[in-house]
Amino acid sequence: MVVQELLLLGIYKEISCCGLHSIAALMHSFACICLQIDMDTIEVSNLNRQFLFRQSHVGQSKAKVARDAVLRFRPHISITPYHANVKDSNFNVDFFKQFNVILNGLDNLDARRHVNRLCLAAEVPLVESGTTGFLGQVTVHVKGKTECYECQPKPAPKTYPVCTITSTPSKFVHCVVWAKDLLFAKLFGDKNQDNDLNVRSNDAARSSKNADDVFEWGENEDIEQYGRRIYDHVFGYNIEQALSNEETWKNRNKPRPIYCRDVLPDIMTQRNGNNVDKTDDLSSASAMASLGLKNPQDIWCLMENTKVFIEALKLFFTNRRKEIGNLSFDKDDLLAVEFVTAAANIRAASFNIPLQSLFEAKGIAGNIVHAVATTNAIVAGLIVIEAIKVLKKDTESYRMTYCLEHPSKKMLLMPVEPFEPNKSCCVCSETPLSLEINTHRSKLWDFVEKIVKAKLGMNSPLIMHATALLYEVGDDLEEDEIANYNANLEKVLSELPSPVTGGTMLTVEDLQQEFTCNIHIKHREEFDEEKEPDGMVLSGWTQALPEKKDAKTSNGNGASTSKSLPTKPGNTEIDTEVKEISDGTVSPGTKRKLSEFSDGSPVDHSSDVDETRNNKKIQKHDDEDELVMLDHWDSDMSKKQRLP
Amino acid sequence: MAEPKTKYDRQLRIWGEQGQTALEKASICLLNCGPTGSETLKNLVLGGVGSITVIDGSKVELGDLGNNFMVDESCVGQSKAKCVCTFLQELNDAVKAKFIEEYPEALVDSNPSFFSQFTLVVATQLAEDSMMKLDKICREANVLLIFARSYGLTGFVRNSVKEHAVIESKPDHFLDDLRLNNPWSELKRFAESIDLKVPDPVAHKHTPYVVILVKMAEEWAKAHGGALPSTRDEKKEFKELLKAGMVAMDEDNYKEAIEASFKVFAPRGISSDLQQIIHDSCSEVDSNSSDFWVMVAALKEFIVNEGGGEAPLEGFNTRYDIFN
Repeated sequence: MVVQELLLLGIYKEISCCGLHSIAALMHSFACICLQIDMDTIEVSNLNRQFLFRQSHVGQSKAKVARDAVLRFRPHISITPYHANVKDSNFNVDFFKQFNVILNGLDNLDARRHVNRLCLAAEVPLVESGTTGFLGQVTVHVKGKTECYECQPKPAPKTYPVCTITSTPSKFVHCVVWAKDLLFAKLFGDKNQDNDLNVRSNDAARSSKNADDVFEWGENEDIEQYGRRIYDHVFGYNIEQALSNEETWKNRNKPRPIYCRDVLPDIMTQRNGNNVDKTDDLSSASAMASLGLKNPQDIWCLMENTKVFIEALKLFFTNRRKEIGNLSFDKDDLLAVEFVTAAANIRAASFNIPLQSLFEAKGIAGNIVHAVATTNAIVAGLIVIEAIKVLKKDTESYRMTYCLEHPSKKMLLMPVEPFEPNKSCCVCSETPLSLEINTHRSKLWDFVEKIVKAKLGMNSPLIMHATALLYEVGDDLEEDEIANYNANLEKVLSELPSPVTGGTMLTVEDLQQEFTCNIHIKHREEFDEEKEPDGMVLSGWTQALPEKKDAKTSNGNGASTSKSLPTKPGNTEIDTEVKEISDGTVSPGTKRKLSEFSDGSPVDHSSDVDETRNNKKIQKHDDEDELVMLDHWDSDMSKKQRLP
Repeated sequence: MAEPKTKYDRQLRIWGEQGQTALEKASICLLNCGPTGSETLKNLVLGGVGSITVIDGSKVELGDLGNNFMVDESCVGQSKAKCVCTFLQELNDAVKAKFIEEYPEALVDSNPSFFSQFTLVVATQLAEDSMMKLDKICREANVLLIFARSYGLTGFVRNSVKEHAVIESKPDHFLDDLRLNNPWSELKRFAESIDLKVPDPVAHKHTPYVVILVKMAEEWAKAHGGALPSTRDEKKEFKELLKAGMVAMDEDNYKEAIEASFKVFAPRGISSDLQQIIHDSCSEVDSNSSDFWVMVAALKEFIVNEGGGEAPLEGFNTRYDIFN
């Protein structure tokens, strides 16, 4: 009897719940030692699918409770729970080397990339997985044999240009971002943080001091007066200011200013006595409750939204004064969700965008991903099947399996043979990248935050320019070293001790991930504010057309794949969390657009309802045998089915 | 719903209130609670199904412990139905859970009317002859039936359901239907009010693509005896005509028109599927007819009268931007 060790990484949110039990059940012929890492605690909304947990477990560590649950039906296996973040430095390459296989069900791109790199460094096979609603996938990654998790660049979380949010929203999601990241943050968050709330489209001066004072609550100001004043300022005055700039509105629908007195003529007196003596239950204050609005799925009219806005603001200031100045938006904070919903709706009304219910707004603001028990059960089963193949080293049988919502060629599960490693993958093939940047304007800090951390997914980077160490992170640094690095962060690239100008090369490393990347710097003066808001463009991480390992069709199941064209079925990577959702496609009722197939017959596929209408993500037609080359064979490819 | 059901929040975002209500009204009967049946029911229970009744005559044996996590050592020797039911009840106390310790085959033979009380029967690991009998029983009683069997890494699932109507199917894709191949009178008039060849370049590039298509389609029809482009060559020619209408390279409205030109190529009138439905005998409705057929009857009348051979336009409330 061979002792096989399995490492189970991640999150019981969805998959590992089933995964653990399946593994426990199936591995009866192996003495199984499992470790599990999960930093989450159990929440009520988990209970519709994470069946190892009960109501009584809410608040406890997922890793621990899951382990206890499994031991109950498999008492003799060894499971060690770690209630920790997988990015902790203890989980280093040596730690990973202990295991025969890693099973990953994490819910964010960053952590997944981190794990991918560790698996590559430790040379341990990785079985990756994810689900969203009815969709899911399981993929196998073995160094040298298959693509690594990052060979196909994953879609970056959607962000919106600042001016769209501050001045020219055209979709409800823009209003939500405004309400959450600007207004809510301004009123209830850290006052010292930069805030673009008062920025107008062509206003060069960002937060001017005078403008900020408007948001301060006056000494003896009546709280409802304060609320109305804020309302009038952001929905009335600010809009009027924006309208005065004719240029902006030449080709756009003009917003209309909304003033409180027009919507809600009378000051709201205490209604139905509900909130008069609510001093006992401070933490559960709710504007909806005190206004008698019962159903979160209702779409409130402008007047109701206005009432909620003012009432919520009131409740924050009367019942939760201490928190103000430190609050950040939390989707489980009902009052915060109510406020953001109301504010977003009023702004939407102003810009002639359809209003949404609290339920919808909450989903958008909280980046909530829909989830159900069945998909997770299916994917869990698939994970185990792949894990068994990996443990048996049955390389020819490894498959990437995609779980679809609607059958394609009469199949709900699409197995695809893994592709060979991408020769231009900067992670597993160590190809160098190029960066266009203004070396006289951008600071090292910008480079570290936007490129090294955000795009390259490094956590503890080390940056070198030839032999000069420009920046590093570590526990064992001396004070003067830290001071030196901090000083470097503030300098523009061309003025660093070892000047970084066009034509030079930077080497960026993350020691924990054992990942090194060389970046060629190209100087560029100007960047488009809307299309390149970061002011820098990273390239070179392209998707090579992967060669299939051999020309045979996959699996003989009828999921035929063409010899020369790379194909991925209907939906490829589905991350269970994306930082900003695109276009509010969360709700069940939302529909996506049908686009044209080049020869005139409409094709069933979903593409983003995108302003640029640039999406020609033409895919395999369900009933046709021919496959079509995708227009954009780049990082956009894998967001064929972009899900919230 | 009176208060936010936080527990179901994530799945409500998939199937909405309607779906959740349907689930909560359903009563399920499970025949045989081995791994397949238990796993199936588990997912329904987690989702908040109304009630479940587990029917299994066997006792828990040691061999069951390795493949069904709803039973543990303490269950050995007890009724499997009872143990599984207890476990499932723990998963969601909002679900009404019952069990009957009896072999499903026997029940099928002795008490067929038993099944009429359920919305759905899930029959697992049944032998063929029992399946056939059960199928007949359920059809007559108008009960939905799903069969499942699994063997190692293979298995099958089979539905046995009579004709049923799905209203509000929430399709993933929709064609924003402006009926450009047969525009309604107000749209026609609107298009007529606009001159495609307007001299001002700004106005020219702001003509809505819908108007461009309506007008160009009309011109084409005039030149082709009332017909719209239908062959590959004609469609190509039409697109070329659109292109020729551009006066500058950056005219997005013309590009949009070209991209959307397929809307003009769509054949007029209703599809053959729709024809079949409205001419079905069920569309002659009476007081017994289901909601679905009543709606079909109304649709039929519309098509014949106001519609002039076309179905009503699909309504959407966010497409104001088309007329920007």
